[in-house]
Amino acid sequence: MRSLSLPEVSGYDEMIQPGGKVRDSYKGYHRWLLGQARDNLVRKRKEAELQFHRVGITFNVYGEENGTERLIPFDALPRVIPARDWRHLEAGAIQRVRALNHFLHDIYHDQAIVRDGRIPAEQIFGNSQYQPCMQDVDLPNQVYSQVSGVDLIRDGEGTWYVLEDNLRTPSGVSYMIENRRMMMRLFPELFAHQSVAPVEHYPSLLLETLQEDSGVAYPTVVLLTPGRFNSAYFEHAFLAQQMGIELVEGADLFVKDGFVYMRTTAGPQRVDVIYRRIDDDYLDPLAFRPDSMLGVPGLLSVYRQGNVVLANAVGTGVGDDKSIYPYVPEMIRFYLDEEPILSNVPTWQCRDPKALDHVLAHLPELVVKEVHGAGGYGMLVGPAASQAEIAAFRDRLKARPDNYIAQPTLSLSTCPIFVDEGIAPRHIDLRPFVLSGKESRLVPGGLTRVAMNAGSLVVNSSQGGGTKDTWVLEDGSC
Amino acid sequence: MKLSIRHRTEYRYSERVRHSTQYLRLTPRPSRRQRILDWHLDLPERAERASDGFDNILHVLTLDQPHQGIELTARGQVEITDEDSEDDDDRLSPLVFARVSPLTGADPALIDLAESHLSTPVLERLERLSERILADMPFTPGATDVASDAISAYQGGRGVCQDHTHVFLACCRVQGIPARYVSGYLYSDDSEHVASHAWAEVWQDGGWHTFDVTNQTRRPRHHLKLAVGLDYLDACPVRGVRYGGGVESLKAVARVRQSGADHQ
Repeated sequence: MRSLSLPEVSGYDEMIQPGGKVRDSYKGYHRWLLGQARDNLVRKRKEAELQFHRVGITFNVYGEENGTERLIPFDALPRVIPARDWRHLEAGAIQRVRALNHFLHDIYHDQAIVRDGRIPAEQIFGNSQYQPCMQDVDLPNQVYSQVSGVDLIRDGEGTWYVLEDNLRTPSGVSYMIENRRMMMRLFPELFAHQSVAPVEHYPSLLLETLQEDSGVAYPTVVLLTPGRFNSAYFEHAFLAQQMGIELVEGADLFVKDGFVYMRTTAGPQRVDVIYRRIDDDYLDPLAFRPDSMLGVPGLLSVYRQGNVVLANAVGTGVGDDKSIYPYVPEMIRFYLDEEPILSNVPTWQCRDPKALDHVLAHLPELVVKEVHGAGGYGMLVGPAASQAEIAAFRDRLKARPDNYIAQPTLSLSTCPIFVDEGIAPRHIDLRPFVLSGKESRLVPGGLTRVAMNAGSLVVNSSQGGGTKDTWVLEDGSC
Repeated sequence: MKLSIRHRTEYRYSERVRHSTQYLRLTPRPSRRQRILDWHLDLPERAERASDGFDNILHVLTLDQPHQGIELTARGQVEITDEDSEDDDDRLSPLVFARVSPLTGADPALIDLAESHLSTPVLERLERLSERILADMPFTPGATDVASDAISAYQGGRGVCQDHTHVFLACCRVQGIPARYVSGYLYSDDSEHVASHAWAEVWQDGGWHTFDVTNQTRRPRHHLKLAVGLDYLDACPVRGVRYGGGVESLKAVARVRQSGADHQ
């Protein structure tokens, strides 16, 4: 693509500097790109699409007709993070997850942070994500969130912010691994000339993390999935296969005499650790939603006795709830006696009347989110909304202010994607996955999500977002 | 007062059940108000004793051989004391009980009901609320079922102790007052009266206060407490899941008698 012209960028672009020069971290890639024939790139993109269909990486979209499977768009232009930036993100994400695990242990035990007046009691105990059944339950290593997804964005100046924490059943890590495999298959020469940090070992680190939490010498670990109608079923099957553990559904497990067993052809086998990809509400129909057949009757009683490990723990939702998010920097100071390495996005809590007044007066500029919402549902992006949409949202906000938070519309950094005309900038975010066992660690990389439509800020795959391979470039390359 | 209790629950199934698991909350916990003199569960198999998040005594019963029925009997003797107040249980924040649960949601009718008499002091206001609930929905066995929630029961205008309690809890929670569901047994001179019972407790001034809507009493002198929770689902004596079995029929008989020589 000798004729490749770099697009104009506004705000912060990961590849292109204002004025049109390529950033240092992209120099190697750019040189390679200029040497590629356009036809060849088009052919490679088609090949990628075909491969993904064959592997079966598809995604069910809620709110569409039953059984709609959609391919998550994959863009072959990698998102590059220089090693120096990565070290900063890594330290910040680990710090945050350590503080959140401390917080969860605290509110399910002594509640020092509430007694100290740092968080109002009703914000915790009135929150439906606080699970009374976890009060005074001791967990191995005091780890509640073994797998945490920390969603990061950059604003127009390139400053990193944490947008939200995901401590329940964060998904997307299979795309991190599969995107890398795809890139290596399509463009092996790219990896020969640059030292891209590997992410392939994530499943073995995950398995280690899960095993570390069990007091049993050779624990039996399983992955519990809601089944093939779940949007992330592909990922469940993928991770189980990569870790070499059984993929089970609720009906494959049962509880007897204080332990959990798996039905096998050789008879019942005891299960020590369950990597569960089912929400709390569906885990045990005898303790939570009675109409759910996805879980295991009796599981909670075994868990409370300490005879099985669940990853993540029951009740982590109170740590990643959007109403709790504004307090995370305070948690870092309170539990770790450190200053936050990564900043929060400034947030107005609409439950506070003053904040609500401000939000109502500035709706067209703000992003307003439901406190318990996820996946980009139930939110208002002020600058992109019509007057009618804003008016409708204003009524919802006034009716239940405590159900909403608001944040300034950050422009989100961009990264180019391939389009028919060449390349064009699109907004992106980043979700690295922090694994916490005896210590916290993460593989260098994560899931980069892309808003595939020009100008769009919504990167959620359920809303038409795509993904990219994420490179952490080790020192000395490029 | 010494009470002797015998509570027999019998499930029959039209087809064989392959596997079933039950949570049983059939064992009272001792407290200042209730002394447990002796207590037994007769179960088809050994059950694992545990506790739940509300500190209720829980037995987990798994039957993994095919069966066509389950018989459960709880029996024992307890002494109900004259204590006015319940043990101050500070393990869980009372604010948990101000939370709306699946069976205690409120619609405009319940919000209206909750907000009447707002100007009177809390306990007095709740007494009037309790009177009004019983007047609006007279005790009528069979009018509702175990899955009925506060909204549908109140709309129907009739109900049993479970429904009275759910409506009362829904109204407390509309006002942000912590209140909890209590499942247990009730002694009455009238042997025809239902002995399995449900009532409410309200957190006020640092303690739990009894409100028995069905019997219009705040003195739990004849009440033996089995379990507490946000609503029926948390506290019910038997909650189970089965695989197979077809149609279920249930027969439950609870008998509560005064025992010993100390008739008062």
